[in-house]
Amino acid sequence: MTEQSIHLRVRRQDRPDSPSYWQEFKLPGHPDHNVVSLLMALREHPVTTTGERVDPVVWDHNCMEEVCGSCAMLINGVPRPSCSALVASLTQPIRLEPLPKFPVVRDLLVDRTRIDEGLKQVKAWVRIDGLWDIHEGAPRIGPNEWAANYLYSRCMSCGCCMAACPQFGPHSDFLGPAPLAQVRLMNAHPTGRYDARERLHAIMGDGGLSDCGQAQNCVRVCPKEIPLTTAIGELGRQTTVQMFKDLFGPS
Amino acid sequence: MSTSIDNPHFLLRRVHSLLGLIPVGAFLIFHLWENSQSRLGAEHYNEQVVAALKGMNYLPLLEIFVIALPLLFHAGYGLVISAQMRSELLRYRYPRNHLYWMQRISGIGILFFLLLHVGMTRIQGFWDPAVAEDLYTHMQALLSQPWLLGVYVVGLLLSVFHFANGLSSMAIAWGVTTSVRAQRLFGGFCVLFGLLLAALGLHGLMGFLR
Amino acid sequence: MSQPSVIVVGGGLGGLWATVRIADAGFTVTLLSLFEVKRSHSVCAQGGVNAVLDTKGQHDSVRQHIIDTIKGGEYLANQPPVKSMCEDAPGLIRTFERMGVTFSRTPEGLLDQRLFGGVKNKRTCFAGASTGQQLLYGVDQQVRRLESEGRVIKHEWWEFLSLLRDEAGVCRGIVAMDLRSLEVRAFMADAVVMATGGMGQLYAPKTTTSTNSTGAAASRCYQQGAWLANAEFFQFHPTAMIGHDKTRLMSEAARGEGGRIWVPRTPGDRRPPRTIPEVERFYFLEEFFPTYGNTVARDEAARAIWTVTQEMGLGLGGGDRVYLDLTHLDQAFISTRLGAILEIYRKFAGVDPVTEPMEIFPAAHYGMGGLWVDFERAADGGIANGSVRNHATNIPGLYACGECDYAYHGANRLGANSLLSASYSGRVAGESVVSYLKGFAGTRPGVREDLIADEVARQQGLNRAIQEGQGSECPYRIHQDLGALMTAKVGVVRANPQLESALSELRQLAERLDRVDFGAANPWAHQGLVFARQLRDMITLAKVVAQGALARDECRGAHYKPAFALPIPAGTFPGDPAFEAYRARWQENNHQWLKTTIAEHHDDGPRIHYQEVDLSLFPPTDPRDYR
Ligand SMILES: Cc1cc2nc3c(=O)[nH]c(=O)nc-3n(C[C@H](O)[C@H](O)[C@H](O)COP(=O)(O)OP(=O)(O)OC[C@H]3O[C@@H](n4cnc5c(N)ncnc54)[C@H](O)[C@@H]3O)c2cc1C
Ligand code: HEM
Ligand code: SF4
Repeated sequence: MTEQSIHLRVRRQDRPDSPSYWQEFKLPGHPDHNVVSLLMALREHPVTTTGERVDPVVWDHNCMEEVCGSCAMLINGVPRPSCSALVASLTQPIRLEPLPKFPVVRDLLVDRTRIDEGLKQVKAWVRIDGLWDIHEGAPRIGPNEWAANYLYSRCMSCGCCMAACPQFGPHSDFLGPAPLAQVRLMNAHPTGRYDARERLHAIMGDGGLSDCGQAQNCVRVCPKEIPLTTAIGELGRQTTVQMFKDLFGPS
Repeated sequence: MSTSIDNPHFLLRRVHSLLGLIPVGAFLIFHLWENSQSRLGAEHYNEQVVAALKGMNYLPLLEIFVIALPLLFHAGYGLVISAQMRSELLRYRYPRNHLYWMQRISGIGILFFLLLHVGMTRIQGFWDPAVAEDLYTHMQALLSQPWLLGVYVVGLLLSVFHFANGLSSMAIAWGVTTSVRAQRLFGGFCVLFGLLLAALGLHGLMGFLR
Repeated sequence: MSQPSVIVVGGGLGGLWATVRIADAGFTVTLLSLFEVKRSHSVCAQGGVNAVLDTKGQHDSVRQHIIDTIKGGEYLANQPPVKSMCEDAPGLIRTFERMGVTFSRTPEGLLDQRLFGGVKNKRTCFAGASTGQQLLYGVDQQVRRLESEGRVIKHEWWEFLSLLRDEAGVCRGIVAMDLRSLEVRAFMADAVVMATGGMGQLYAPKTTTSTNSTGAAASRCYQQGAWLANAEFFQFHPTAMIGHDKTRLMSEAARGEGGRIWVPRTPGDRRPPRTIPEVERFYFLEEFFPTYGNTVARDEAARAIWTVTQEMGLGLGGGDRVYLDLTHLDQAFISTRLGAILEIYRKFAGVDPVTEPMEIFPAAHYGMGGLWVDFERAADGGIANGSVRNHATNIPGLYACGECDYAYHGANRLGANSLLSASYSGRVAGESVVSYLKGFAGTRPGVREDLIADEVARQQGLNRAIQEGQGSECPYRIHQDLGALMTAKVGVVRANPQLESALSELRQLAERLDRVDFGAANPWAHQGLVFARQLRDMITLAKVVAQGALARDECRGAHYKPAFALPIPAGTFPGDPAFEAYRARWQENNHQWLKTTIAEHHDDGPRIHYQEVDLSLFPPTDPRDYR
């Protein structure tokens, strides 16, 4: 494969509280580069187009197979994992920016603690007694139900859906789509269901489900094609029922 | 523990949503249906439509509690909701994203339109008996000014869009449509519904122009 | 004294199991990880996890699982831990299931099982094509629950730097660094569990492991006195797709379904593959192994590819790749049978393997070796439940589990056994730590403040040395050179002269690392500094791998040194004098080499000694015979 010149524009930021600025790079590269491998090549020789030697770009990566969720960033304006963004498929200059909505740590590295906090807030777990064998499996789950659940269990907390959500951000306390989808998943589990009410109550408070404005960008950008808007619809149904139970049912 | 009652966030949203449909949306249908009868001439309109309404018992109470207050609540809380929007229309060029934005923008548009509309009809009628007496002629005079006609057409279309699109998002919010397919199907239905309602409304506006 | 506390370093499957097990027992756990624990390398595992459920009508048995594991590792694994692991595997799966892990189901709603490499029975549970991810998320959710209850304290974006040992040598805490502010501080604890994963990055970019699987943490423990065992055993996956960043696994199913491996017969032939006529293609697996052809075992395939590219110089375009070709197969057939894995190739190589041959190379996949850990044998031949010795390193108070220990796989790992060993060892390590903590009678004297302060200062000094370093070296380029060196000389096929030169080249790499210069770099979230530190420890680790490989003059499992191969004489069978003579040589070889390699750190390099393997359950009697 032939080498060609790749033109890169990177939005950089030295510290969480400092202003951002752009830098341009040109480097030789193979067309089978992806954005992470490109940044890896760049860090060996971080010189801008004006010939200035700068600190290597800081960013996050780990699995390189689009399962760990580390490397999401804005690539040509769209939030996506950078390990699966093939350079050959991108228009140049390739613009790299940190994943929006999350606080920048440095350059393309962001702090996604809010996803984790959201997961805690909605109690995205099945309560089990302990990590020992109780000599009994969980109840059966039909293959169709499994297939629906499996879609949601692949969420890797990359944050792309949150970055694209017009309701989510530093200005609002909306949980965002990813933690909501986990409520859908946990509420479907045969024993996870036991805590469905707590989870629903958690998403019926401030920043909960009803802050969703149905823009549905989330489902368009999710690299794992997780049916987030279906989850939101199903949670709409569950919360509707829960509301009537709360209002009129036995307490 | 009934958090959904202790914390009013959810209930407020649902009330806002519900009010958009009943009574505000329902009133919009009714209102456009009534006004479409402008076609049948001044006499019919003034006597069969307007006078019949005016003859209703407890009309002011109905107007306040069934129309004005729900609308004001929906509008007021709608503004609060709209404040949370951080839309990036150019970055995310998906139709649903544009509809989301339009829902909020149209709401604000409707608010201005309604101030004008109610001011020029119901409110003006308080001190100008001619308006109340012959609403048809009054409307005719208003709508024959091209810019006002334009304002009315826009106001009408915004309201109809807002209502129809609101219906489709309401169905998701309440959990009526969950799958992509259901959401698409019902979305299609809302488009048809909106077109029908728009036709009805435009038909009514034309009725005053004869 | 307040409640004893524990530090777990690493939040992969191993670390999270240990964390939950210890927290369940009522002790507070401080959990450190380089990044959010749910991004740990464990998510990469696609294939599955072994456990005998015997739900496929094949009369599968735990005994068979034990035997497969032991034989797969060519008897180098101690047998009691293997026995207990295989026995507990079904229970582990049930526990995962209770956590909500979305295991794939049969039409009856039960756990599905499939066939995986190296065994005859369907024994592998899987969750779609992302088993490791699903398993990790299951425990991650439990840890999040415990965290919200205040029983676990997470420190993500913190890097373990060194152990804190008291005057008696007991491990009493660690020194760690905040990866953002570079703040270095001590964390005190009564026990420390290392669960820092594998070391595939020694072979970068020709490794299937994550970019954070550096092995640096294990190396640091080693440099402070912990033993490393069996480090020379490294499994290579024959069919990995090359990237500039890393090589991604291409499932063996591609060969299984009829994929053919070839290179052009003419060296350096640069024609597009589809234009090369059949006669000019060298289907070397089919020629080397007429009976098995392209479906020959992993090791054999990896070695053949190595021979063709490195010794015969027939790699594509003179390089190191070969073709894995599916284009002759029916398109609809391969799409239904291999859809998911071909999608990965399409996504990352940008080429459709249905119409273009894939380019692959053997890549470092799994290090069988790691921190040496103990076990206590029970009367039933397994390990003693709750013994403080299980998964204890040779440093009192320091435990290890997951891929960073050496315990279960011997000389080679059975497919789908390492998610099992990571989870199981995490649980066992957790239980041992609980026993260890309960064993404290009364109070222990605190660790001398000056010892703590000295160690923190030493670590800060290392940071400063890098920041003030002068020269022209870039750590990332040194890493490339390290990977290239390890791949070429300590890789699939080994020979003593190369290993010796590798050892001296490693020393040169370490020297180059002294001359790394970052200029006046911004110290905030300084990834280069962090990496330079890791790299130094990786080079130290690489020396152990190379030294162990040099010392072991035999072929066993993944360690292949052709000069010392003991092939079965062709055409002979048990009973033939030639075969019996071979058997005697084989037994003699076992007598000498069927031993655990243990490396101890000394300033002039690793010192190696050997330890007997516990063969109490299934002693080796017959050589392996694949015919
Ligand atoms: C591509 C691929 C496919 C695989 N497929 C399978 C399969 O199908 N079946 C199977 O059984 N096995 C498979 N494996 C192997 C298996 O995935 C691993 O062996 C296992 O997940 C290791 O888990 P772990 O908990 O030991 O470590 P990891 O998951 O690697 O976790 C390591 C943890 O340690 C932390 N850490 C490391 N260093 C430090 C430090 N200095 N300070 C603080 N924290 C640190 C990291 O942050 C991380 O949280 C596969 C491996 C690869 C590479
Ligand atoms: C003609 C009068 C109006 C009608 C018939 C109407 C109807 C509706 C309906 C049916 C909905 C859908 C509810 C849902 O999504 O759950 C809705 C939503 C909304 N309306 Fe109105 N509305 C009207 C006026 C207004 C006004 C004046 C405003 C003020 C700005 C407003 C702001 C909003 C907003 C922001 C939403 C979106 C709520 C959300 O998606 O969360 N509306 N409206
Ligand atoms: S739902 Fe999709 S986009 Fe959102 S965090 Fe999960 S994987 Fe990423």
